[in-house]
Amino acid sequence: MNRQQNLGILLRVVILVLGLGFVLLPIWYMVITSFKPQTMIFEFPPHLWPQTWTLKNYIAALGKDNFVLYFWNSSKVAVASTLLTVLVSSMLAFVFARLHFPGKETLFYVFLLGMMVPPVMLIIPQFLVAKWLSLFNHWGLILVYTTMNISMQTFLLRGVFENVPRDLEEAALIDGGGPWTIFWSIILPLSWPGISVVIINTFLYSWEEFAWANVAIKNANQRTLPIGIALFQSEHLTEWGQVFAASLVALVPVLVIFIIFQRHFVQGISTTGLKG
Amino acid sequence: MKTNRFVWMLVSLLIVSATLLTACAPAAVPTAAPATEAPAVATEAPTAAATEAPTEAPTPVTIQYWHTHSDPETAQLDKVIAAFEAANPGIKVETTRYAYNDYKTALLTAISSGDVPDAARLDIAWVSEFADQGALVQLDGTLPDFDNIIKDTYPGPLSTNVWKDHYYGLPLDTNTQVLLWNKSDFEAAGITTPPATMEEFAADACKLTDAAKKQYGYAEGGTYFWAPAPIFYAMGGKVTDEKITTATGYVNGPESVAAFTMLKDLYDKGCLSPNLLGGGIATDAGHAEGTYGMIIDGPWMVDIYKNNYPDFQVNFAPIPTGPQGTTSSVVGGEDVVVLEGSKNQEAAMKWAAYLLSPEAQKMMAEVGQMPTLASLAGDPAMPPYFTVFQEQLKTAQARVPHPKWGDMDNAINNAYQRMLKGDQTPQEALDQAAEEINALLK
Amino acid sequence: MHIKRRNSDLFPALIFLLPGLVLFVLFFLGPMLYSLRISFFEWKIVHPDQSIFVGFRNYQHALSDPIFQRAILNTLAYTVITVTVKMILGLGVALLLNQTFRGRTFFRVAYYLPVITSWVIVSLLFEYMFNGQAGLVNYILKDVLHLIPKDVLWFADPILTLVPIVLLDIWKGIGWAAIIFLAGLQAIPAELYEAARVDGANPAAQLRHITWPLLGPTTVFLIVVLVIGGLNAYVPFQLMTNGGDPMDLTHSVLTLMYEATFGRIDFGYGAAISYLLTVFVFVVSLVELRLLRQQAA
Repeated sequence: MNRQQNLGILLRVVILVLGLGFVLLPIWYMVITSFKPQTMIFEFPPHLWPQTWTLKNYIAALGKDNFVLYFWNSSKVAVASTLLTVLVSSMLAFVFARLHFPGKETLFYVFLLGMMVPPVMLIIPQFLVAKWLSLFNHWGLILVYTTMNISMQTFLLRGVFENVPRDLEEAALIDGGGPWTIFWSIILPLSWPGISVVIINTFLYSWEEFAWANVAIKNANQRTLPIGIALFQSEHLTEWGQVFAASLVALVPVLVIFIIFQRHFVQGISTTGLKG
Repeated sequence: MKTNRFVWMLVSLLIVSATLLTACAPAAVPTAAPATEAPAVATEAPTAAATEAPTEAPTPVTIQYWHTHSDPETAQLDKVIAAFEAANPGIKVETTRYAYNDYKTALLTAISSGDVPDAARLDIAWVSEFADQGALVQLDGTLPDFDNIIKDTYPGPLSTNVWKDHYYGLPLDTNTQVLLWNKSDFEAAGITTPPATMEEFAADACKLTDAAKKQYGYAEGGTYFWAPAPIFYAMGGKVTDEKITTATGYVNGPESVAAFTMLKDLYDKGCLSPNLLGGGIATDAGHAEGTYGMIIDGPWMVDIYKNNYPDFQVNFAPIPTGPQGTTSSVVGGEDVVVLEGSKNQEAAMKWAAYLLSPEAQKMMAEVGQMPTLASLAGDPAMPPYFTVFQEQLKTAQARVPHPKWGDMDNAINNAYQRMLKGDQTPQEALDQAAEEINALLK
Repeated sequence: MHIKRRNSDLFPALIFLLPGLVLFVLFFLGPMLYSLRISFFEWKIVHPDQSIFVGFRNYQHALSDPIFQRAILNTLAYTVITVTVKMILGLGVALLLNQTFRGRTFFRVAYYLPVITSWVIVSLLFEYMFNGQAGLVNYILKDVLHLIPKDVLWFADPILTLVPIVLLDIWKGIGWAAIIFLAGLQAIPAELYEAARVDGANPAAQLRHITWPLLGPTTVFLIVVLVIGGLNAYVPFQLMTNGGDPMDLTHSVLTLMYEATFGRIDFGYGAAISYLLTVFVFVVSLVELRLLRQQAA
């Protein structure tokens, strides 16, 4: 690497670090607040380093009867919703990116509608559908979360799939492969950056969704984590320290998913199919 | 032109499914009929003053009760349920706890779908609203022994259950606001006792103010009506007439204007903290730290301070008396209601009635739920700090029990903002509020 | 360029479409039509069959309501500012994070962290920082930089309230835009940059002639999605203004809709507000898609 490239990298890192300050300051404050005893949660003036540390908030929050249960429920729902969304939206995106039939673009815009209606407005009729199908359980969450994500993720993947070079498909067609082969063996493997985004987005959405889970889950044992954390707040007294602690712990799974799948954001991975 | 068969297929599929769904929906809500649990239980006659419960249904009935109690309150509620179930072998009570901020949404969603709980604990301000929608069961004339049950309740909390001359709930727990005074701030300013009259209050507020130390004599949490309400009511203010037909001459009447004028004066002189306009130091923290010499708040402050400021000694005093020499305050709390659409209304009513029994009320008092039964005031089972509140409850008034109360609150809220910012005088601002409220009452 | 040399891939398409369609019709289209229907009624929640048909009255009421008009203004201003800043800074961050260097994963995670934090917590923090009497921002502006003479009561002023709300959304959203841009950058073959470098093009020229054009679809996607998100803003507004404080001047369209539906139990009016918003979002998105796709082509 020559000196100019070295300087370039140095400059990048400097800018990134400065930006980090802005980005991480609130996060840092969240973290230290979770270790403060209740009295100091909203002290004036604010201190960037707590005067007294305590683990009380974590012990109390994680020790609450059902915290682990809610955590597990959220995990199940999020993983299932993510898998289903990836499958369904990639199948839809494939149709829009590669297949042709009359009315295709119109249908695409119909799907895009899913992003344009405020979800809050749909809760009551969705509740009616769930009641009709007896879905006041995790499946009700999974199916609705998938539906609410289809529009954006199909939109995203359509763009990704359209960018996949067609040379490989020509070859596969000559070998006698049909659309399914092309879908599974060519399009999907070459679209990992896009699919990773879908995974990260859908997991995050399912993990933190509140409004639907609030009304659709009636059995306390099936509650998801956001509801559990909301229950830390009561009408008059809220144990903010515990809320902070619980919310930070809730961050971890999403972070893990992100770390795992951001590996695929590596330059040039999608072109490897062309070489050799 | 090629036939777009696919598109037509799709469109027809959409229309068919949409019609099916929308056609199903309006019929989905069953109209409620007073349900009998089992043939063995006698149906109630409207004039019956039932003595004892008739023979219980052979099959156990389970009722759903929704609430927003905190963790310690929920634990105590479980004990109340155990006692109830022991006394009523045919009935089981299942509860669902909701997060406070999202409770109304959950309730409305359930009501829209017909899938309602049998009983619920409602904020007092919602009862007339829900009753107006037809979501609640009328209790006078249907709940056994109703007249006896309400005889002992405080008038303020009881009145929150009234809509169109009928009762749609029972007052479950109540609270009110009293004066909190910071003893060290008072001593530093040379005042020995909390103010007994409004004149003393206004004077003390300014004596306690020290601009250099950024200390204020008095602070309110916001401009929503709940905040100035105690002072408003103590000075003789009223929002509407008894029959809730007009606000003219009431919310903009001389007493109401006097109350708000006093507050505006304090604000202009710098004795009332500007935090009430939004986004300043919170009243609970400010009071404990000495920034706010006086605030007006409720019994929950004891728990809040125990948790957040364990070294702070909170001091309560009654709301200072107004020009007529009497004190007053505003009533808060919750009512218990039975919902239309419940298939177990009788069992639900038994549960509601039990919640108003002295035993149940005393048990919940242990976790800070102030009873609505006047006879329990001064009872040794009550936490000691209840005394000043229960005394205040004798004169506390409820806010207007009307479905449009939210908008009325908003009208007064906006008027308060306008007068504080100097856009209008208190009289002008309240005149406008009166007009807006009248429009809501039509 | 068709895969199959025939006029319609209808049959295979149906198989791929079916699962998504079923879900979409059941849980979105049906509910959407149901709530659309509600908007034409004075809706009774306990006995919907007693609802009163009022035609477009709910819509007219909304359009002529000054509170609604103010909500639109707030929402538009918020959208324009947040989307612009998030696009610019998001692209900047993505470009910086695109190269291979030691510790890159750490930086990526750090910039993404705000995206996954809880709205409740960070709203609280921003309220705390912008506290009118004892907040960090006032302290810096007044006591450190001496830019303002007196403490600013941020949340007492209907326009200043938007500042922490906008900042919060930007802070929370840059990482998300950056990740999408990052994924899009992967589709650009490295050889193109190599060839350009050999030809003597500096980084700025590479950006203009290679990166920007090839990021076309990603940019289109982001603009459409971010604008939709901005117009649908609800959580930060609700948490920081508690529904329009002060004086109903700080509503977003959706906080107003929420208050109408679940606050005042006027489902018909709330539905009308939602669908006015939906129509607006649809038109805007359509325009964006047409314009931007043409440019990208």
